[in-house]
Amino acid sequence: MLRREAFHGLAMVAAVCLAFGATGCGGSAGVAASSWKDTHPLPADTLTESMDEVGTHGGRFVLAQTVAPRTFNTIMANETSSTDVTDGRLFAPLILFNNATQEMEPCLAKSWEISPDGRTSTWHLRRGAAFSDGHPITSEDVLFTFQVYMDDSLHVSLYDFFKPYGKKFQLSAPDSYTVVIQLAGPYAMLVPVVSSVYIVPKHTLEAAYRSGNFASAYNVSTPPEQLVTSGPWTLKQYAPNEKTVLTRNPYWCGVDARGQRLPYLDELIFLIVPDQNTAALKFDSGEVDALDDVKPENYRKYETGEKAGNFTFHDLGPALNTNFFWFNMNRVRDAKGGKKIGSTYVTPVQYAWFSNRDFRIAVSKAIDREAMIKSVFYGEAVKNWSTSTPGNKVWYSPEATHYDYDPEGAKKLIAKLGWKDRDGDGYVEDASGHTVSFTIKTNSSNLLRVGMANFIKDDLAKIGIRCDPSPVEFNTLITNLRQDFQYESLLLGLQSATPPDPGMGQNVWRSSGLTHYWNIKQPKPETATEARVDALVSANVQTMDMAERKKTWLEIQSAINEECFVEWLPTLIYKAPIRNRFGNVHPSVIPHRIIWNIDRVFVKPGAGRA
Amino acid sequence: MRTYILRRLLQTIPLLLGISALTFLLLQLAPGDFLNTMAENPMVSADALDAMRHRFGLDRPWHVQYLLYLKNLFLHLDFGESFARHQPVFVVLKEGLLNTLILASAAAVVTWGLAIPLGVLAAVRQYSWLDKGLAVFGVIGLSVPEVLSGLLLLMVAARTGWLPVGGMHSLDYDMFDPVGKAIDLLRHLALPAIVVGLTPLAGRMRQMRGNLLDVLRLDYVTTARAKGLNENVVVYKHALRNAINPLITLFGYTLGALLSGSLIAEIIFAWPGLGRITFDALLTQDQYLVLGSVLMASLVLILGNLVADLLLAIADPRIAHD
Repeated sequence: MLRREAFHGLAMVAAVCLAFGATGCGGSAGVAASSWKDTHPLPADTLTESMDEVGTHGGRFVLAQTVAPRTFNTIMANETSSTDVTDGRLFAPLILFNNATQEMEPCLAKSWEISPDGRTSTWHLRRGAAFSDGHPITSEDVLFTFQVYMDDSLHVSLYDFFKPYGKKFQLSAPDSYTVVIQLAGPYAMLVPVVSSVYIVPKHTLEAAYRSGNFASAYNVSTPPEQLVTSGPWTLKQYAPNEKTVLTRNPYWCGVDARGQRLPYLDELIFLIVPDQNTAALKFDSGEVDALDDVKPENYRKYETGEKAGNFTFHDLGPALNTNFFWFNMNRVRDAKGGKKIGSTYVTPVQYAWFSNRDFRIAVSKAIDREAMIKSVFYGEAVKNWSTSTPGNKVWYSPEATHYDYDPEGAKKLIAKLGWKDRDGDGYVEDASGHTVSFTIKTNSSNLLRVGMANFIKDDLAKIGIRCDPSPVEFNTLITNLRQDFQYESLLLGLQSATPPDPGMGQNVWRSSGLTHYWNIKQPKPETATEARVDALVSANVQTMDMAERKKTWLEIQSAINEECFVEWLPTLIYKAPIRNRFGNVHPSVIPHRIIWNIDRVFVKPGAGRA
Repeated sequence: MRTYILRRLLQTIPLLLGISALTFLLLQLAPGDFLNTMAENPMVSADALDAMRHRFGLDRPWHVQYLLYLKNLFLHLDFGESFARHQPVFVVLKEGLLNTLILASAAAVVTWGLAIPLGVLAAVRQYSWLDKGLAVFGVIGLSVPEVLSGLLLLMVAARTGWLPVGGMHSLDYDMFDPVGKAIDLLRHLALPAIVVGLTPLAGRMRQMRGNLLDVLRLDYVTTARAKGLNENVVVYKHALRNAINPLITLFGYTLGALLSGSLIAEIIFAWPGLGRITFDALLTQDQYLVLGSVLMASLVLILGNLVADLLLAIADPRIAHD
């Protein structure tokens, strides 16, 4: 009896193997023209999108994600894996930032005007615009959405932006299609903030909000038919840790020049993969249609593979994300752990170096950024001196002060400090005989950052400063950065906000800010420059005058760079491969780099699946 | 027997308490917390971060957090909420449970379906080329770590295109007929199941061979042969039944590893199971999700061991648990 069983087991395995061999590729269903028919009348106020060419309906676009979305609740979503799906896809704002022009455009609001004193703004909603269940989008929904964003107990990440001059936005709705926002004073962030508020349906979410369950509403287990959306897309299916499938919102108000309702594609699929390498494999095998976050060392591979893979390797230009390092000048702010309030975390000797402007400028002048770009970035980077990088069309200001590579100048500054190599070990000592040396921490998982740190070590050695790179695990790095301040210098990058307005990054420049890395949460500004910058940041956001804002932003950048609080490093040039069979593809450096205009992307006629 | 089972079940309570306390402590010792990555966003202010920390209860000392967790667990059978998902831990874990069971079962089929026949073959044809070949295979299977075999097979799949590069379903899965769906699933299942099943397969095969050889040298086998019984009857009817006993216990342990045995393969092959959920939770320090997953896997492991002991008692009348 047992013998038969054992044989049976073998036979079954053999059968399974045969099945695999015989079928070859089970997938590869051709995507024919869409069978979709627009059954709902277009709204009175359609949103006519500008685009290269008018497309046709049908097809799908597949994108890889390395982390699964955690929620479909756009207001509670904090990580890009969720916001890539929700923001601009499932939910739409009143006005939308155009990644290509880097300007604001109407979306659910067809127009808006702001009073000359900047205190009153009026927003006119599109008549006939509707949620994915057909329920009209009215001023009631806008008021409800803002109420949730400004809720004290939910305290979403944008919360503080709704309180200029310490007073919350005051909203009112004179009629169903008009919303008025009252402010305490002129506020430059009004338009960027409104563009970051994604309208959610009051009729499905109010009950959850009233009962205190808003945070768990619209979670990933919500049945798709109950997830009512305001954007061009609606949820078709979420397979946990496998994929998220979006399909068109049949009531979306966007149309093309011929009055055909958008989006063109039948489906937008986010395929969840374990890591970037698997995403690349899936792109190579044709399963995925575009690839984001390609590493510069792989650029060559995609440049030469365009024809064979039937894709274009788009050059998106300099990233808006930045790389830099700084020296730890933080002080003990509370009496935990037996440290004296006001004492520094680094040793007094190191603090004396780090707080010395000449030392910081010498470090900046010692770094040969051009050579760094050639070696660490494979030539695919540009020099950058600000959070508004050369990729920022509106706010990039090349005239801001900065200290570029100047080894002789760096040596002169070291000599001026009286630092000399007295013991002949190749490194200079300060007046009290301490060898000038520090460690530079960064997260070990980011090879570009580790590469930059090693490069800095070599360059600083040339002017007699010893620098030891110390790559650590990400969570350890953040703990060092935030909680125990156990670092001497730290190399990190900042992601840009959308829109990339300097006002969105106030926390970096304000001396009281949590991301004012070199000396965070100062009770009052410790240096004259920081006091000046604090005032300039306030002036920059408390006005509506663009020329005035550009002037103050330039002053902020120059003031910070004159002190060299931040040691700027090059910023990467982004490139992304996208299949040629799609039309209206316009990848941009601003997130989401590839699908920001996916409602206009279409499958070119005659183009089968790659 | 009943008191034995009851005693074993009661023993799991302090065991699980200890496991949960240790897991919680280790999570606290790890640097940072769930809000770490959020703190890196310059748009998130210190106040917003403090508000979130308060909402998640992360501002309280760790022992208070742990006692609250235990209280909710015992009074309401509430395993807490995933910070990232704003959903009960059990709901999140449930998503991966079935998929992990599918993979573990497939791996068990690979392991047991091959280990027993191959082990028997090797024993019956001791010192033949087949036996030697299987010995080499056994050594390789035991010594190659899952990470390596997983990546190698993934590379083969990517290069040849014979099998899919990870995942559980094709994108067009929903459009297939039931047969197509089954084939699609098997195609995705093949590589991870081989990777998970390979190491135990090599071990069990060698054990099966050794056991059978031991039994074949016993007096009663010689007697059976002397009686002139057909060799097949001697081996498969008389010897194998006794030789397979220890493997029954090992089968119980296989049950125990159902939830925890495939973590690495799941990550390599993008298998949407518990392993990936747990790994993700660990990286983001979503602490109650990690705790829930560890407790569930531990419980299954303990129960699997219990089943192993019971199976042994059933299979071998000489063993009695009292």
